[in-house]
Amino acid sequence: MTNTNLQLIRGAIVEEEIHLTLEELCQACRASEEHVMAWVFEGVLEPIGDAPPDWRFTGSALHRARLALWLTRDLEINPPGVALALDLLDEIAALKTRLQRAGSR
Amino acid sequence: MKFKDYYETFGLPRSATQDEIKRAYRKLARKYHPDVSKDPDAEARFKELGEAYAVLKDPEKRAAYDQMGSQWKSGQDFKPPPDWNAGFEFSGRDFGAGDGMDHSDFFEALFGRQARGAQRPGMHARGEDHHAKVLIDLEDAYRGAQRSISLRVPEVDAQGHVVLRERRLDVSIPKGIRAGQHLRLTGQGEPGLGEGPAGDLYLEIGFNPHPRFRIDDRDVYLDLPLAPWEAALGCSLAVATPDGSVQLTVPAGTAAGKSLRLKGKGIPGNPPGDLYVVPKVVLPPAVSESEKEAYRAMAKAFDFNAREPMKR
Repeated sequence: MTNTNLQLIRGAIVEEEIHLTLEELCQACRASEEHVMAWVFEGVLEPIGDAPPDWRFTGSALHRARLALWLTRDLEINPPGVALALDLLDEIAALKTRLQRAGSR
Repeated sequence: MKFKDYYETFGLPRSATQDEIKRAYRKLARKYHPDVSKDPDAEARFKELGEAYAVLKDPEKRAAYDQMGSQWKSGQDFKPPPDWNAGFEFSGRDFGAGDGMDHSDFFEALFGRQARGAQRPGMHARGEDHHAKVLIDLEDAYRGAQRSISLRVPEVDAQGHVVLRERRLDVSIPKGIRAGQHLRLTGQGEPGLGEGPAGDLYLEIGFNPHPRFRIDDRDVYLDLPLAPWEAALGCSLAVATPDGSVQLTVPAGTAAGKSLRLKGKGIPGNPPGDLYVVPKVVLPPAVSESEKEAYRAMAKAFDFNAREPMKR
């Protein structure tokens, strides 16, 4: 293996500086537009904007869409099931944060 | 390059049916998905599973893999025979569960895009977006930081073999970034095919666990041990925050667990987070005679019943 050094790269914070279009989200997650649309209609993803061409997704959609794709493709869960699984995972993440914030007592 | 026994990954014999492979994958993937699992190796295990499944779930790839013979053992030195996949057509760019990055060199040499792309000259396509996770310290979010990250990129060498090249990126982590946020590095993903543009690289930020500070989004929590008299009478003391030391006034009558908020001293941003100091009252043990005497004096001085709430 060889090493290459490059100059310092500045990235943009997706959550604050960028809103992803439907196409960009699909590219970033390797999901099809049909999948993403099904998840939006099921409430898994909540873009700003009314119609698909105007949709803008925030950074949190990146993580959710990748998770949704895994649930859909590898576990063959349908969109309502994906929505339920993601809600439960959100709940677990929130509880974990609360536990962690409370520290060991 | 080391041979990978994808059947061993699932604990299955080579004669396993497609259904058995699917079931084994699902069971293990549920167990090791990083969002679900508590296992410290979950991420690595999940990637291995994804790679093995990408090959075995696809009858074409599985047949090509099987054709190499069963004499190979995991970890054995391996070089793909020339034209090993002649007669097989791997369709599409769908690589299943994996992220499309960080596959083993074994996988890349046999099934990677470079290996397939080399067979189709004159094709143009945008490179795929890549994802990676970067752990930073809490202090980095307060001040901004530079991080070197290593990525493994498959490339075709002069002999036409696919090799993984290590590529180091020096990334500037902006001040105010929080766990779960993503940085997009435009054009730093997979190189394009032909004249296609390169994909982007997404970095997901996480925090290393900190021995003293706990983090909830943009707020930071710190336990502050206090002696009973410090909590009861109040005091002023220096407290180390991620952004340096501050002089904190603990008001008289501070109760254990009742947080003191230092507004704007959390993770910087617009608005910045807050720093919560959580007082913990620590009881000193009474060992010497004078210490015991002090406790007796307290018992006399107070009209206090600790079990008052239990009377109701």
